[in-house]
Amino acid sequence: MNLLKSLSFFLLLFCNFLMAQNKQILYDFNEIPQSLLINPGVETDFKWYSGIPLISGVSGYGGTNGISVNDIFAEDGLDINDKVRQRMVYRMTPRDEFSGNIQLELINFGFRGADPDIFYSMGAYLELDEITYWPQDYAYLIFDGNADQLNRRFDLGDLKTRGSLVSVYHIGMNKKIDDKLTIGARGKIYSGIVDYNSTRNDGYLVNTEGQNNTFTTTLSSDLELRTSGFGALDSASDDGTLSNTLVKRALFGGDLGLGLDLGFSYRFNKQTVLTGSLLDVGFIYHSGDTKSYSLTGNASSEGIEINVLRDFSNLNRDFWQDLVDEIEELVPFESSESGYITFRPTKLNVSLRYDFGKPIGNSLENCDCTINSGSRSLSRVAYRNSIGGHVFLVNRPRGPQSAITAFYMRRLGNILALKATYTADKFSYTNMGFGFSLQAGPINLYAMADNLLSYRNIAASNYASFQLGLNIISWGRK
Amino acid sequence: MGVYRNLLIIVSMIFILMSCSEKQDFGQYDDLTITPTYETSIFYVKTQESIINRVTGINFFSQDFNFDAFEDDLFAERVLEGSITYQLENTTSKDIEISIQFLDESGNVLDSELFQMNATPSALLTREVAYGGAGKNLDILRNTSEIRLSAENLGDNSSTSNLPDPAIILRSSAKFMVRIK
Repeated sequence: MNLLKSLSFFLLLFCNFLMAQNKQILYDFNEIPQSLLINPGVETDFKWYSGIPLISGVSGYGGTNGISVNDIFAEDGLDINDKVRQRMVYRMTPRDEFSGNIQLELINFGFRGADPDIFYSMGAYLELDEITYWPQDYAYLIFDGNADQLNRRFDLGDLKTRGSLVSVYHIGMNKKIDDKLTIGARGKIYSGIVDYNSTRNDGYLVNTEGQNNTFTTTLSSDLELRTSGFGALDSASDDGTLSNTLVKRALFGGDLGLGLDLGFSYRFNKQTVLTGSLLDVGFIYHSGDTKSYSLTGNASSEGIEINVLRDFSNLNRDFWQDLVDEIEELVPFESSESGYITFRPTKLNVSLRYDFGKPIGNSLENCDCTINSGSRSLSRVAYRNSIGGHVFLVNRPRGPQSAITAFYMRRLGNILALKATYTADKFSYTNMGFGFSLQAGPINLYAMADNLLSYRNIAASNYASFQLGLNIISWGRK
Repeated sequence: MGVYRNLLIIVSMIFILMSCSEKQDFGQYDDLTITPTYETSIFYVKTQESIINRVTGINFFSQDFNFDAFEDDLFAERVLEGSITYQLENTTSKDIEISIQFLDESGNVLDSELFQMNATPSALLTREVAYGGAGKNLDILRNTSEIRLSAENLGDNSSTSNLPDPAIILRSSAKFMVRIK
């Protein structure tokens, strides 16, 4: 209805509330080369392919499971103060999240080796990943304060957030072992541009009845924020060399790490395929431009305490400053520049697919062949239709997060393949997705999006994602 | 290739065009107010009866204490209203008078509170002093740099209460609303 508003919400969702993305539509969509990035063991029939630089693969995701833009900013005549308090502060929990991911392929290409059963693929992409859980007790403290909350412990462990911008360089190998099994692996080198994380926090703030004074205020704190790369970018921004610094850090000039993707496809029979992949089993070592901040210790205070008998000879001392110094000594705010390691958000995909309908590779069906049909052995014939299920798991700061998908896929000759999905996860139980792959000569265009029902009012959506790209493909195993 | 690039742009625009949205008003953010109320103890003073008996004259205690909590920008620039609650306990055998004065950096008295309390047995004296709104001017607190505490013995210098550890105890706590947004 309103293009600008819709565009704003897309940008808001994809740029600000940006998790490792569940690419359930792209997964096992083996007409598209980018499916190799989600399962290096996918069944491939490309002779070679090359993505169009910068537009071969663009994907993004944004999710907020506890609240939507519409909940707060709808023009509904309600007071925003009531909406924020009733729908955020008093309703959201520390398991609710704001998260997102953007991935932009820089280059991506692949080719079949001298052994036609081996396919190599390689490339580079940028990945922005962010997740912040709702810091419930911090919100209570900020919106209501600690007054009249005797013995109420405000949990400082509610703060969990992390984010990173990383360039990833990868090379993968896909090997058809036999007609039943295809396996693949992909090695990755991560070049971290920026990173921040504060995920291992603990502690509390509480007012209890005082022993001497009215209240004892106790702070037990084990908080830490680790950052990397922001100092370099800040300096570069001041010097006007921001883009150079970004490029330098993206090209192995920042934090370095290693990762591994593994995958397989296994045919139980001609029509039933089990696939699985484990992605981003890896780490990044952050060093060189790191800055970490911590607030660790325990302190209890009843304010300035003067016992005249005890302090009689020293009543002129600065009790206030002594109190401040004592608390700062007990709970010091410290910073350091020591390096640290972060682990990538590892993802697990498993799917079971059943193909049915007319086989495309059958010579009797030569009017409906796939491009590569001629090379396929009978045990790997493609069919017009596929249905199946897919499970996605990703490790998050508050434990694994899952999604389950049912899908239907339809191939229309050599030109078009369509896939429709239904996904249930913590964001939505009504997530309908759709994607297509269009093959026009050597040009392959694909686009997909999910949670389509939410497009009726995107502002009320808790989740949206997209993937699209453009490739040049040469088909055939030889 | 340009044709396909345009096609890609068109496809991505279709997703955007397909999307609709109810009317939103982001200007509401300006109306959001965040005004939490925090409370904590501020100071506690205990003067034993043995000390009082040792001092000749009425004024047995007078001391200026540095107190920068209210002067701090974090508080001074954001405080909206609140109160300080005093609680006075006298378990000595003497009638007493306590004076609390708020002083600025130059030593000028900005405000004072006077407490009179009978010798034990006497009830706990509690007084809540409001600042801001209908209470006293908040500038008193914003400019307070020191607190002067004076105590006078309105009784004798020899008697001792039968209660254990007889003393005059002043407890205080602050409860203030501040504007974060």
